Amino acid sequence: MHKTDGRAQPGHYVLCFQSWALPMNAAWRLPCSVAAGALCCGLGTAALAQNDDAKAKFEPCVACHNADGISTTENIPSLAGQTDRYVQWQLVYFRSGTRKSEIMNPIAEPLSNEDIRDLGTYVAKLPAAAPVAPSHADLVEKGRALAAQNRCSACHGEKLQGNGAAARLSGQREDYLLKALKDFKAGKRVGGGMAAMADVVYPLSPDDLPALAAYAASAR
Amino acid sequence: MLGMVSRRALYATCALGIAALVQPSAVNAEGQGPSGLKYYKSDTKEFWEHPPPDWFLGDETQEQKGLAPKDGPPTGISGAELQNNLKNIKLPPGFSISVYAEGVLAARQMAWGDKGTLFVGSFGLGNVYAITDQSGKKTVKTILKGLNMPTGLAYHDGALYVIAVDKLIRYDNPEDNLDKMPEGKVVYDDMPSYAAHGWKYIAVDKEGWFFIPFGPPFNIGIPPTSVSQIRRVNPKNGLAEIWALGVRNSVGGDVDPRSGRYWFTENARDWISDDLPSDKLNMISKIGEHFGYPYCHQGDLPDDKFAMGHKCSEFTPPVLNLGAHVAPLGMKFYTGDQFPAEYKNNIFIAEHGSWNRHNYQGARVMRVIADPDGKNAKQEEFASGWLKGPQDFYGRPDDIIVAKDGSILVSDDWAGAIYQISYKKQ
Repeated sequence: MHKTDGRAQPGHYVLCFQSWALPMNAAWRLPCSVAAGALCCGLGTAALAQNDDAKAKFEPCVACHNADGISTTENIPSLAGQTDRYVQWQLVYFRSGTRKSEIMNPIAEPLSNEDIRDLGTYVAKLPAAAPVAPSHADLVEKGRALAAQNRCSACHGEKLQGNGAAARLSGQREDYLLKALKDFKAGKRVGGGMAAMADVVYPLSPDDLPALAAYAASAR
Repeated sequence: MLGMVSRRALYATCALGIAALVQPSAVNAEGQGPSGLKYYKSDTKEFWEHPPPDWFLGDETQEQKGLAPKDGPPTGISGAELQNNLKNIKLPPGFSISVYAEGVLAARQMAWGDKGTLFVGSFGLGNVYAITDQSGKKTVKTILKGLNMPTGLAYHDGALYVIAVDKLIRYDNPEDNLDKMPEGKVVYDDMPSYAAHGWKYIAVDKEGWFFIPFGPPFNIGIPPTSVSQIRRVNPKNGLAEIWALGVRNSVGGDVDPRSGRYWFTENARDWISDDLPSDKLNMISKIGEHFGYPYCHQGDLPDDKFAMGHKCSEFTPPVLNLGAHVAPLGMKFYTGDQFPAEYKNNIFIAEHGSWNRHNYQGARVMRVIADPDGKNAKQEEFASGWLKGPQDFYGRPDDIIVAKDGSILVSDDWAGAIYQISYKKQ
C-alpha cells in the first residue's frame, strides 16, 4: 500500500486512509451497518490521536471488528489476541481469492505483504477476549469430548489459545466458530495450506458443531 | 466423530475393506477390523472426496501430541531479513548462495521455459509464477491463480504442464503469453481429488512421458489399489502405466541422465519415533517394482502392524536411507558444467525438514553420490543452516533445478524465495 520506515510521518495517515476509501464505500460497509457507528468514533478519536502506522492500517477493520478487536456483531470474528500467523494467512488467502468473502476479498486485494505483516502483528498484540462463559454446560461437556476425540489441541494448543498458523479459538464468538465449522464442513473454506480443517470437520455430524463451538469459545 | 464407537462396531467386518456391511449413511469410511488393524473402506465416493484427516493426525502417541505441520510466514521472508538468513548457510569451499528471486510465495517445483522463463508452482496458495530475467533484474509474475495445490509443473515441447492434485493441465506457448495465459487444457485426470498427499511432482523422461507420484490419503494403512504408486503418463494422449507400487508420499524425482531410469525421494510413515523410520531415495529398475509401503520401511523394518507376514526381502530396497523426518522433496541430477567435475551426475535433494520430530532435522540440500545401478550410494550435506532452534525454520528447501550457467536454483516455500548456488574456482 505504501512504504514506511516504521516511524510516523506527517501526512502519513491521510495517505493510508485514502487508499482505503474505495473498499470502505463499496463493499464492506453495508453488511456492517450495525457497527457503522464504531467506524465514525474510531476515525474521529482513537486513530487520529494515535499517529501509529499499524493502527492506521487497522482502522478500516474497526467498523466490523471493533477498535479493541473484540467483535460485538454476530458472525463477525474477534481478532484481538489472534495469532499473528493465522491473521496473516487469512489475509493472504482473502487477497488471492483462495478464501472467498464478498466483504473481505475487496478489502484484502490491495494489501501489500508489509500491510499484512503489520496487521498480523497489530491484532496479535491486542488483549484477547476472555473465554466465553459457558451457556449450556451439557453442550460444553459434549464439545470437550468431541475436541479430545478430534485432537483439536494438537494444532490449536492445549487451551485452544492458538499456535502459529492455527487460530486462537478460546474467547472467540461462539456464533462465529459455528459459522466457521459449518463453512469447513460445507467445503466453503478449506483451512490452511493442507486443507486440514475441511478434512477434520467433514465426518462430524451437524449436531456436533454447536457443541464444539460452545466448548472452544469457553476453553480455558 | 461422535458415535464412532458404535460405528466402529458396525464397521468391524474385515481388515482389508473388501466386504461391506455398512449403512450408506456412514460418513467416515474408517474402522477397526477383526485383526485389530485400522482399515479404510475405499469403495465409496465419500472416501475419495473426504478421506479421514489422519494423514497428519490420529496416529500420534502421547509423547508426540502437539507436533503438527507448521505453516510458514504467510508473506514469506524478503529484503534484509532474507539476505541475513543466507549468511548462516554453510556450503563447501568455493560455493556461494544468493537470492535469485523473492516474493515467490509458497514456491514449489521449478521448470525452465525455452526462452529462459522460470516457472514455479506453489502449495495451498494456488498460484503459478513466471520469473523473467532482464539483464539480471528478475520479475516475478503470478500467471495462474486459484488452482488446487499446483505444486508440480513441467515445461515440455513448447507447453507448460501444471499438475493440480487431480488434473494435469497444459498451457500452450506460455512464454509469449505471460500477461494473459491461454486457457488450460486438461490432458489427464484419472487421479483422486483429495488433498492429503495429493500434491504432486512431475519428472519428464526421454520419451516425453511424465513420472507422477500418487500418495495414499493417510499416514499408514492398506492403500486403495489406485494409489501408493508412481505412474508414467503420456501427456499427448493420456495413456498411463503403473511403474512403481508400495510408495508412500513422494514429491520429487528425476530421470538419470546416465541410464534413463527414474529415481525418486519418498517420505516414510510417521509416528513410530523421532528416529524411525528413515526417509528414502529409490530407483526403479524395472516396471512394476514394489517399494515396501505399508509392509516394510527403510528396507529393513517390517511395520509392527501392517507387515501382515510380509518380509522386507520381498520388496525393492532403497538406494539410500536419507534419515528420519528429513522430508526429502524435489531432486535433480547435476548435469551442469560449472561445479567441479566430481559433481557430474550427482543428485541434489532438497530436504523440507521435519514437522513431527521433537528436534527438527533436514531443511537443507543434500548431495548424493551413487553408481548408475544404485550401488555405492552415499550422501553428504551440501547446503545447510535453515533450521532455527529445535522446532522452527529460517527456510525450507523443496526443489532443485540446474540453471543454464551450471549453477543450481533452490526453491523455498517457507521464505517464498528462490536461491542460486554457484561455484567459483578458488
